[in-house]
Amino acid sequence: MNDANPRRAFDAIVIGAGVVGACCAHYLIEAGLQVAIIDRGSVASGTTGAGEGNILVSDKGPGPELDLALLSRRLWFELIDVIGDRAELEPKGGVVIAHDGATLTRLREFAEVQRAAGVETHDVDPMQLRELEPHINPQIPGGVHYPQDMQTQPMLAAAHLIARGVQSGRLSRMTDTEVTEITRDESGRVTGVRTLSDVISAPIVVNAAGTWGGQVAALAGVDLPILPRRGFLLVTEPLPITVHHKVYAADYVANVASDSEGLETSAVIEGTRGGTILIGSSRERVGFDATLDWSIVQRLAAQAVEVFPMLAGVQLLRTYGGFRPYCPDHLPVVGADARVPGLMHACGHEGAGVGLAAATGYLIAQAVTGRPLDLSLEPFAPVRFDSTPERVGAHA
Amino acid sequence: MSGDPLDATERDVVVVGAGAAGMSAAYAAARAGCTVTIIDANPVAGGQYHRRRIDAATYRPRGCDDEAVWRRIHIESATTVYAVEIIDHGTQRIFGVRTRGDDRHRRDVDLVRARRLIIATGAYDRPLPVPGWDLPGVMTGGGAQALIKGSGVLPGNRVVVAGTGPFLLAVAQAILEAGGSVAAVVEANDPVALRRHRSALTNVGKAGELARFITSLTRHRVPYLRRHRVTRVHGDTTVTGVTLARVDASWHATPGTDRFIEADTLTLGYGFTAQTDLPAQLGCTLQVSADEGLAVTVDDDQATSVTGVYAAGESTGVGGVDLAGIEGLLAGAAVARSLDHPSPLRDEPALRRSRDRMRAFADALATAFPLRSGWRDDLEDDTVVCRCEEVPAGRIRNAITELGAHDARTVKLLTRAGMGWCQGRVCSLAVDRLCPRSATLDGQARAATRPVAIPVPLGAVADINLQSRRES
Amino acid sequence: MPEIIIDGRAVTVADGVTVAAALMSEGIRSWRTTRIAGNPRGVFCGMGVCFDCLVTLNGEPNVRACITPVEPGDVIDSQQGTGHDGGVS
Ligand SMILES: Cc1cc2nc3c(=O)[nH]c(=O)nc-3n(C[C@H](O)[C@H](O)[C@H](O)COP(=O)(O)OP(=O)(O)OC[C@H]3O[C@@H](n4cnc5c(N)ncnc54)[C@H](O)[C@@H]3O)c2cc1C
Ligand SMILES: Cc1cc2nc3c(=O)[nH]c(=O)nc-3n(C[C@H](O)[C@H](O)[C@H](O)COP(=O)(O)OP(=O)(O)OC[C@H]3O[C@@H](n4cnc5c(N)ncnc54)[C@H](O)[C@@H]3O)c2cc1C
Ligand code: FES
Repeated sequence: MNDANPRRAFDAIVIGAGVVGACCAHYLIEAGLQVAIIDRGSVASGTTGAGEGNILVSDKGPGPELDLALLSRRLWFELIDVIGDRAELEPKGGVVIAHDGATLTRLREFAEVQRAAGVETHDVDPMQLRELEPHINPQIPGGVHYPQDMQTQPMLAAAHLIARGVQSGRLSRMTDTEVTEITRDESGRVTGVRTLSDVISAPIVVNAAGTWGGQVAALAGVDLPILPRRGFLLVTEPLPITVHHKVYAADYVANVASDSEGLETSAVIEGTRGGTILIGSSRERVGFDATLDWSIVQRLAAQAVEVFPMLAGVQLLRTYGGFRPYCPDHLPVVGADARVPGLMHACGHEGAGVGLAAATGYLIAQAVTGRPLDLSLEPFAPVRFDSTPERVGAHA
Repeated sequence: MSGDPLDATERDVVVVGAGAAGMSAAYAAARAGCTVTIIDANPVAGGQYHRRRIDAATYRPRGCDDEAVWRRIHIESATTVYAVEIIDHGTQRIFGVRTRGDDRHRRDVDLVRARRLIIATGAYDRPLPVPGWDLPGVMTGGGAQALIKGSGVLPGNRVVVAGTGPFLLAVAQAILEAGGSVAAVVEANDPVALRRHRSALTNVGKAGELARFITSLTRHRVPYLRRHRVTRVHGDTTVTGVTLARVDASWHATPGTDRFIEADTLTLGYGFTAQTDLPAQLGCTLQVSADEGLAVTVDDDQATSVTGVYAAGESTGVGGVDLAGIEGLLAGAAVARSLDHPSPLRDEPALRRSRDRMRAFADALATAFPLRSGWRDDLEDDTVVCRCEEVPAGRIRNAITELGAHDARTVKLLTRAGMGWCQGRVCSLAVDRLCPRSATLDGQARAATRPVAIPVPLGAVADINLQSRRES
Repeated sequence: MPEIIIDGRAVTVADGVTVAAALMSEGIRSWRTTRIAGNPRGVFCGMGVCFDCLVTLNGEPNVRACITPVEPGDVIDSQQGTGHDGGVS
């Protein structure tokens, strides 16, 4: 379904109306371009509508992803100025906890390295922990407080950013429109896209297709190694505010960086504005199989109750899940594809796409308009997989 | 109830639902020699139609009267199945049935294993929003009936019964029989169309029942207003009256036909929604049935698309208590056969023929009472559509027009409509029909995806005794 | 005939009725207020589907009044918002 806009030629086309595509479209129109955003489903119908909305710095060690995250965090405040409170941004901070002394020592060492790289961190003892989270299990020996961590409602953020672009007249929103080909001229340069029913032209095409980024890259004849990494979340009945921060166990950081295909779960607990508590999260690579596995639900519930014993009597209302866009080196693919002039990628953000979306869109717009980049895109280069088959985990 | 998986008994068959369908299915399977457990959320067997007081005599479906067979059937009542899953044991397929106690005992969870599953979970009322419908005193027709049948309590002193379908007559009848007063029966469609189906009606013996209802209305001087709709409910903290209007064939109100009726209670019901949560969890194919709602797809043996899972009764499409019973018998027999027991039924072909005839009639009836769109005109921007999350129509319309949501799932993500306690059971039809892309199988099926059929405490879910797939 | 306590008041109700029916036979039509607008709610679906009839039973919040049979000695309290306003225990 298209807005009543007969235009079929644009300065740029963004494929994918998730949070990353929305941010790309936003910064491209801010740069003065006339843009079309195309999705085969609805706005936020992909992973953006199937995850949480944390904008985290706490889970990232020094390196290119942390740099991207810090830039993105700053830019999210700008975006919220643009769309207002409708995206439910909560700069509430994160609390990472350790279940035993050895983990706590490692967590604090990690925090120290992060601090050196510009992350605000505070070590907290059990008493301070209870000040931050009155309901937390008093046996937990301590943790680290990360005041910079934030939360947003990514579906609303994406939908409102796109709606604002549409209202400005510089963005065309084309949903229920599947891209079937990225068209090129004889020299191999991008000329636009073909959809099931249409041909739309633009000299720039941005692949913001998330977990399906590899498939969209293939429509232009290039490879991108993006795989689904499944995750489930539990949602409780609505409560008065009982969990104040994003609270998670230190093993989460190791799980995020893991290359294992097997199931990993770690306690990630946070409240939402709706009053429900979200409990995550699992990570496993099982293709696109969406069947709910109750042994995962059981593990997530047990881990959450261990951290917040009062959750034992709180009812589980539903579960949902999605497929994170996973790259072998856990870094997103952002920037121009040297193999196909005019093709840009902005995908593969795994479990951090919401957090990294703002900076991704911002840098894509800088790259498209040839302005100097605030941050080097080299670590995120689409061609990096051609030469180096698999890098060591970014967080190691 | 035991939480220990080691003595979690494995049954040949677990039947979910103790209505006409489930009880008949259990009887047929047990009679053929299967070990059977029936699980039902209610404290007493009987389902919606045979809903009875706790102290009433035990319900036995038609043709299921050998008490020796019943003694072999285990009925787990006041127990709700919140999830079903497939547990593969090598080549043998086993189903895991996760249960919890009633709301008093909701921490009592269990995992029952079964080689076959029969889904007989019935249906629930299908209301549509109207300004004021969130006032106390507005309830579904089934809700009113349940109060009367189950507890002997009248829903109110003066009741307007509104919506569409023959069930309105049954609700009015129940109120009148219990000594209550019905101000009017307000039917949005024009059932004159029913006359076309008279032969079918006579065929399945339903004509007599409907005629009896109508006679009873006349005797009590209750107006049966066809082509009318309640367009507003009045009241501050409880219902004080309703506005009615004449409507055209698409249910749009005719200007100038408004009229106020004093009443303290309104019942609403535009047909029924089949309870498909459990089959959907297992990935069973669903279909859009004649009443435009979802139903589980079954074959001639009542088998669903998932091997080992059968379904009978309202969950396969709304069709009445007699049809539910026959479908149950056929499902029980098919399950028994699949476990190498002989069929317990004397004349299966005749039963199949009756079933097909009754199903055809039910479909014709559904077509005679279609769902139209004029109700949408009534909604004001502040009319609550999602009762749980209190999402008003204006916010839903804004998500559609401004934010570009075209389907119910996107509206849900952007407004929270359907995310509350009832998980969209009450509002999803309305939300779907407000969307530009509506009434599709895919869209409705997605809105009806409920991985947890009924809320269950996290501490109970975490119970380590309920391990299934990965650890077993 | 079971004796129960409704919002602090002792009453006797008929045998075998649900909590919702007990409340309604006492002339009470709503026993909960919603968490956003604070609007009153009572029975809607009457069969455990809609969760409009949530009530606090013997200190346990969010019990469906319409499908829970009364037991002698029950203490029934109306509830506000999430039902956990006194804190989650
Ligand atoms: C359980 C879970 C928890 C998570 N928690 C967090 C978190 O707390 N913080 C965080 O930052 N991230 C989190 N994530 C990850 C985050 O959700 C994703 O990284 C992010 O949503 C990716 O956004 P996207 O815009 O790249 O992709 P998507 O939202 O998937 O958008 C891609 C779009 O492309 C469209 N598309 C695909 N192919 C085509 C085609 N051929 N034609 C047209 N359109 C096409 C799809 O329909 C889709 O809408 C979580 C993920 C999961 C699963
Ligand atoms: C509200 C209502 C009122 C009706 N009134 C009439 C009437 O007056 N006249 C008439 O001819 N027909 C009526 N019908 C239709 C009639 O009920 C059906 O034709 C017949 O009862 C269907 O039988 P069934 O076995 O398919 O379902 P039901 O009789 O509905 O039985 C289903 C059973 O499954 C149980 N159940 C559902 N989900 C679960 C779960 N997850 N775990 C455990 N148990 C579960 C329910 O508690 C219920 O007892 C009514 C239907 C409804 C929904
Ligand atoms: S009235 Fe709907 S659940 Fe009780």
